[in-house]
Amino acid sequence: MLNQERIILMTKMASYEENEGKKNVAIGGYFRGDYISLQLIRSVINGTLAYFIIVGMYVFYDFEVFMQEIYNMDIMAFGKGLIVRYLITVGSYSVLSYIVYSYRYSKAKKSLKCYFNNLKKLSKSYEREGK
Amino acid sequence: MTNLLVLKEQLKNFYSKNDAFIIPGLKFLMAFVALLLINGQLGYMSRINSPAIALIAALTCSFLPINLIILIAALFVLLHLYALSIECAIVGLAVFLILFLLYFRFSPKDTAVIILTPLCFALNIPYVIPISMGLIGTPFSTVSVSCGVVVYYLISYVNGNAAALNAMEEESVIQKFRFIIDGMLNNKAMIVAIIAFVIAIVIVYFIRRMSIDHSWTIAIVTGALASLVIVFVGDMVYATQISIIGTFLGCLVSIGIVWVLQFFVFNVDYSRTEHVQFEDDEYYYYVKAVPKITVATPDKKVKKINIQKKPALKQTSVNKK
Repeated sequence: MLNQERIILMTKMASYEENEGKKNVAIGGYFRGDYISLQLIRSVINGTLAYFIIVGMYVFYDFEVFMQEIYNMDIMAFGKGLIVRYLITVGSYSVLSYIVYSYRYSKAKKSLKCYFNNLKKLSKSYEREGK
Repeated sequence: MTNLLVLKEQLKNFYSKNDAFIIPGLKFLMAFVALLLINGQLGYMSRINSPAIALIAALTCSFLPINLIILIAALFVLLHLYALSIECAIVGLAVFLILFLLYFRFSPKDTAVIILTPLCFALNIPYVIPISMGLIGTPFSTVSVSCGVVVYYLISYVNGNAAALNAMEEESVIQKFRFIIDGMLNNKAMIVAIIAFVIAIVIVYFIRRMSIDHSWTIAIVTGALASLVIVFVGDMVYATQISIIGTFLGCLVSIGIVWVLQFFVFNVDYSRTEHVQFEDDEYYYYVKAVPKITVATPDKKVKKINIQKKPALKQTSVNKK
């Protein structure tokens, strides 16, 4: 026989699975450490690419001056300056990514907790009927 | 007032029944207007500079996610910049790449703002964007709005200096490069616009969250005034040479548009009919969930009706015998 309460619960869960649930299940499938590390690695790659583009534009902008000074300037100091700026840029971008993705992970987990509670409710409802 | 509420309910009903067509329709409209405006402002590559190509691209966009629509619009811009000069295209590519690498990484929900901001600038109603984003977004929307402003000023700068760039044909690549980058970095109007929009979004966001009556209307007006003040101060300090009357009129029109939008769109929960399928051991279920439409007016209006006082009951003395 059709149990109306159960059908309403299943409908809400199916609707969740089709909409927000897809993203949340994908996030919830990872352990917290794994998820955040994966996102941080991708952020570091993106940050590095963006930094190289900005440095490229800067060098190209001052290209003539750069070409003239390249033999006179201290390559080590210039390289050190580049690396320090790189670490600061990518470091701050990684901190920002860490904050954003930890927040997203905890939100996804909270939402999935609701969903799993509903699953338990559903399972109990079937067990009760089975008895 | 009741007529407006009735209209609002009718719009909600219309949206619930036809949402499968409305979202692609809106995407098509946004993409089409954006591509037409890009072709109008730039239009240096004759092969893509026709309404027919814009129409075909917009029709394709109506079925794509918003991020791909932005990619297609960026591609159009880059193609036009490439037709003008390769240095422009390189600067444009660098700006878009930095935007995509750093900002789109977080897949924010308001990426459509990056197309809508230049659109509203081109239609002379730029203040619609910061006020709307303050009403429906968070302070993090300042990033997407700033990116939209940068994209608009890039296009506008190239449009305004195309003749100068063409005249620089014989100059070296480096000179042209410096010309474009200087124009972008020293663009005071762009910096003033970004500051004005950021402050407007923050003001609107904090005021509309206050628990006072008509907080949304107060937020809209305050945000618009704040951005006007900053734009005028910026004009005095940096001599950006903006048209004061034009800005003021644009601001008034923007306030009107946002007020209409907040009444019909922002305050309403447009829940949609959903079709779900699932099964258990006994049955297959095909469920159509139709949301119940209820009148959800944010301001409670209490009508006091003069209740006529009932005449006091006359006590009749009963003579007890």
